Amino acid sequence: MKPFQYIKATDTATALFSAKKQKSHYVAGGTNQVDLMKDNINYPDTLIDITTAISKDITATDKGIIIGAMVRNSTIANDKTVKDNYPLLAKAILAGATPQIRNMASTGGNLLQRTRCPYFFDTALPCNKRKPGSGCSAIKGDNRMAAIIGTSAECIAVHPSDMCIALAALDATVQVTTKDGSKQSILFKDFHRLPGTTPNLDNNLPENALITGIKIPVNNFYKNFSYLKLRDRDSYAFALISVAAALDMNDETIKDARLASGGVAHKPWRWYEAEAFLKGKKATQANFAQAASIATKGTKGFEHNAFKIPMLKAAIEVALTNCITV
Amino acid sequence: MDKQITISFSRRWFLKGTSALTALALIPRSVKAFFGDIRDQVFSRKQTIPITININKKEYAVVADSRTTLLDLLRENLHLTGTKKGCDHGQCGACTVHIDGQRMLSCLTLAAMLPGKNVTTIEGLADGDELHPMQEAFLECDGFQCGYCTPGQIMSAVACVNEGHTNSVEEIKEFMSGNLCRCAAYNGITEAIQKVAKQ
Amino acid sequence: MCFFDEPTTADSPKARVEGIAKVTGKGKYAAEYDVAGVVHGVLVGSTVAAGTIIKMHTEEAKAIPGVIDILSHLNRPEVPGLSGDNKTKFGLPIFYTDKIFFSGQPIALVVAETLEDAFYAASLVYADYTAEDFNTDFNKNKIDLKADGKERGSFAAWQNAAIQLESEYTIQNEMHSPMEMHATIAEWTAGDKLNLYDKNQGVNGVQRFVGGVFGIPPENIHVSSEFVGGAFGSGLRVWPHTLAAAMAAKQLNKPVKVVLTRPQMFVMVGYRPQSWQHVKIGADKNGNVLGIHHQAKNTTSLYENFKDNITGITRKIYKVENLKTESAIVPLNMSTPIYMRGPGDCTGAFGIESAMDELSYKLNMDPKELRLKNTSVINDPDSGMPWSTNFLNECITQGAEKIGWENRNPVPGKKIEGDWQIGYGMALGFWNSGRQRTSTAIQLEKTGKLTVQCAITDIGTGTGTGMRNIAAKNTGIASEKIKIELGDSDLPKAPSEGGSTGLASVGGAVVAACEALKIKLATYAANQNANYKTIKPENITLENNGIGIKNDSTAFISFDELWTKNNLDTVKVEATSGPGDERKNFAFCSVIAHYCIVQVHSKTGKIKMQRMVSVADGGTIVNEKAAANQVIGANIGGIGMALMEEQLADNNFGRLVANDFAGYHFATNADAPMIEVSFIGKADPNISAVGSKGLGEVGLIGCAAAITNAIYNATGKRMRDLPVTPDKVIMS
Repeated sequence: MKPFQYIKATDTATALFSAKKQKSHYVAGGTNQVDLMKDNINYPDTLIDITTAISKDITATDKGIIIGAMVRNSTIANDKTVKDNYPLLAKAILAGATPQIRNMASTGGNLLQRTRCPYFFDTALPCNKRKPGSGCSAIKGDNRMAAIIGTSAECIAVHPSDMCIALAALDATVQVTTKDGSKQSILFKDFHRLPGTTPNLDNNLPENALITGIKIPVNNFYKNFSYLKLRDRDSYAFALISVAAALDMNDETIKDARLASGGVAHKPWRWYEAEAFLKGKKATQANFAQAASIATKGTKGFEHNAFKIPMLKAAIEVALTNCITV
Repeated sequence: MDKQITISFSRRWFLKGTSALTALALIPRSVKAFFGDIRDQVFSRKQTIPITININKKEYAVVADSRTTLLDLLRENLHLTGTKKGCDHGQCGACTVHIDGQRMLSCLTLAAMLPGKNVTTIEGLADGDELHPMQEAFLECDGFQCGYCTPGQIMSAVACVNEGHTNSVEEIKEFMSGNLCRCAAYNGITEAIQKVAKQ
Repeated sequence: MCFFDEPTTADSPKARVEGIAKVTGKGKYAAEYDVAGVVHGVLVGSTVAAGTIIKMHTEEAKAIPGVIDILSHLNRPEVPGLSGDNKTKFGLPIFYTDKIFFSGQPIALVVAETLEDAFYAASLVYADYTAEDFNTDFNKNKIDLKADGKERGSFAAWQNAAIQLESEYTIQNEMHSPMEMHATIAEWTAGDKLNLYDKNQGVNGVQRFVGGVFGIPPENIHVSSEFVGGAFGSGLRVWPHTLAAAMAAKQLNKPVKVVLTRPQMFVMVGYRPQSWQHVKIGADKNGNVLGIHHQAKNTTSLYENFKDNITGITRKIYKVENLKTESAIVPLNMSTPIYMRGPGDCTGAFGIESAMDELSYKLNMDPKELRLKNTSVINDPDSGMPWSTNFLNECITQGAEKIGWENRNPVPGKKIEGDWQIGYGMALGFWNSGRQRTSTAIQLEKTGKLTVQCAITDIGTGTGTGMRNIAAKNTGIASEKIKIELGDSDLPKAPSEGGSTGLASVGGAVVAACEALKIKLATYAANQNANYKTIKPENITLENNGIGIKNDSTAFISFDELWTKNNLDTVKVEATSGPGDERKNFAFCSVIAHYCIVQVHSKTGKIKMQRMVSVADGGTIVNEKAAANQVIGANIGGIGMALMEEQLADNNFGRLVANDFAGYHFATNADAPMIEVSFIGKADPNISAVGSKGLGEVGLIGCAAAITNAIYNATGKRMRDLPVTPDKVIMS
């Protein structure tokens, strides 16, 4: 790990004031930041501890819920309001990582998790995300975990979070304070980026800006929902495919549907077309299968991850079924 | 200790960056180490920070490198080697300790961030010679073999019971899956937790 | 030696001798000894898989304050065993070559005052290399097979057998992945003596090897390995990092600690090599196996030949008159593999036990019945010698009862619960039971406290506890008065703890030492009571803090009295025991039958282990709990092998990918059901005085096949390529 100056910021203003272009990083839970620093992938000159600078509160209103960026993952999963009104979020969080990591990881940090593509972690090998212009080793290499939609010739990495898949499905908004102190709200769908020609950028967070909270609007998805995660072992593994599904039911008819996936793209991926198809339809196996077919039609596999397409299709069907049966 | 620590850089120096490798995703043959970037940066000399940490109800005043993790502080500086290093990257759970009563990974926790917090390690679990019930249960249920993951398992198990994640074998197993055991003494670990949960 | 529990706790007989040290974190593993003035070494690996180092770039790293030195082939100390013609004798000639054999090969050791500085400086060291071709692709080149063992009968005789089965089986590289990363603290002391705190499976082997490399007598080297955090075979030899630590300590005249990183564990301490097998079986319509042809290949490195004995199990387990076994090794730009739990047989069992299952379906015969019809439980078909004991058929029968084998649907894919397909599978495991020459010392104090000493390491198997239980049984002294000391080269010599020979080896030596103690005490007791003059050791008891003669209550003399009358201090004996003539008359094996129920999700390919039952014949069970724990752990290792463990290389770069615990998956707690294990428990009267046969290996052997056989029964999909990750289920 490269030496760095440690600064503890006790409020947002101090944190922002201390931040310097590229040379400083924030640390909250540390689960990803410290790991990346050990691997010489992140090497800030200054590390700004924001654990006491941003909100640790979960605030519920009649319009929705605001989760402070410093709220630990396990706190969200255990929160009564979340469990009652946004249970999909709790379920997704509990599918990720381990109790220890969830006790540490912050909400804001979860959004900023970097990919688990193995080439990103091996500093001896080319990776456009880690070192722009060096090439993508995964395209012709071990791409079993890679994306099947929204890829570019520069990068086929996937976003690793579970929590973010639920947040994407629930139309969350990311609350941000920029370096100059101004506040912004970024729709979740606009927060993460596709790789394009700049795979080094995971998201649209302005440089040195702080995530201060996540807002989830009130919804009717607390009754019929499911989070399905398929992975290489039963626990403590990143997703091959994950599906967050939620239905707003009117008797047997689907009033509204949400469908999002992890393990498929560079960002949490919403299946808007499949959602639109489901609206107004009956909750039948045939309709679920049709929705899954619609979702997977634009996907494209690489040498080792073509399996993700039938796996995704099956996962969407099962997740939708679980919404009404489990 | 919560106040902002500002230590100005005592010295800076530049290192000449390696020339950017222009080859695309070809086999790096006669190459210098590929990542290069870390050398391209201006970097500061290491910062050492005087900190006081409460570990097992005892105050330790140390001067820590800003890079030092709680795990290395425990093992290399304080010789509290009961907390184990199994991967150093949050991928195994062997380094599990309690911070303010919550199970967390000491390998991903910077020591500099700990002032004001209470750390409990395996060494602080027993009450003198009186073992913690979970330690007794691990002995009785033979919840270990080589013993290397055991302190982490026990710290995690104590938290698992405190959190109430002991309603079924499946729940215990899921909530103990952050602690890998290559000897796979999982039967015994699960039984030990069931036993303590009943008490 | 001071860290093992003092035997004071009331319930210590129930727990392991080192149990308290382990649950309190007080037990010291190699990297945890507090050695004054120790400095930290971090290895730097090559970034290419082949080539020659042209230039080492160490200037930037050397400029880091706190960096003491950077060792490489350019400045290493003189090490006689690595220079000149000795290069290959000691494996990878670390710092004695500029050639690169595999990516990640250690090319430098950065030594610094603190771990943080050492890691940072190591990240700045790099080399320039010449370009050379490399190959990490196991399947790229054609390799000719050679006969592996003597051919039996006639190959032609069964080529027209009524039922023929021919299949290929492949397994990816697997990693030992002990939770403790390999580590060495090396310190040279006056008179060219070397002190090593080291993670390994045999301290005397380390002495001999390191002595050979450094050209000093083995007894000049002290090796301490009291607590070993798992190894599974990775500690069966000395690896380059230990030599690097010793070299740096010598060069700098300071104690040096080298702890591997987890990714380095994947390239510096061996692995189970990738393998290919081809199995052909011919049988008659009644299920009598007429002939087997088993061929196998495994990976090795470019600088050493490593052959896994993959076809061995096929030569031993079934009574086959016509048998041909062949093998080959495939040299790649990889580090050298090493025996991993159930070496060879574990791989071979996946081949032969999958093939037998396939055959059973071709025969439309219960796979359990097919096994019972063909197992060779009287004689070892390879040597022709009788098995000393072999209760394999009993294992098969008892296991079937426990799992409820009668509930298995013989037609694949027919047992369905919702989206889940349920399948039953079984397979056998076999392991040659060995025993090695071992010495043990025993000392008895006036208080009745007995100390048993042996250099053997306990890698978690419960060896120390076994020693205590055997000593208690053979002396009559209560367990709580017995102290165990092991894992130190100052203690009486022992073999490496490997190949499941540990307990059989040390157990025999403990019995011999107990006898020697009784005889020695009897010579003193004879001064008080003439009946002791001609007494045989088996008639002597050491119960109730005194010596006595069975069925002669008048002969009892308290230790107090014995010690005082004979003016004794501590009474100490040492005895050595090893295999003998029994090996000329009998063949020895540990055997197991595995049964399991799996559920496979018909849509997503997810596989869930529902139940796993194993019945093992390991001779006398000295410690039921530890023995079960061993087999349970091995079974879960089998779950890993079957369903998730694989280490891939990127053949474009010749480099392992995802070589950490996020990339290399082995079973978590959630992946394993509560495993059900039981034992036949009958003593093997010939193997040793204890009657125990090893269990550590056999528990894993056959597991993977039992699971894939169950997957077939569940789905009708025959999985011949391990591991069976969900993608393979979906795509087949």
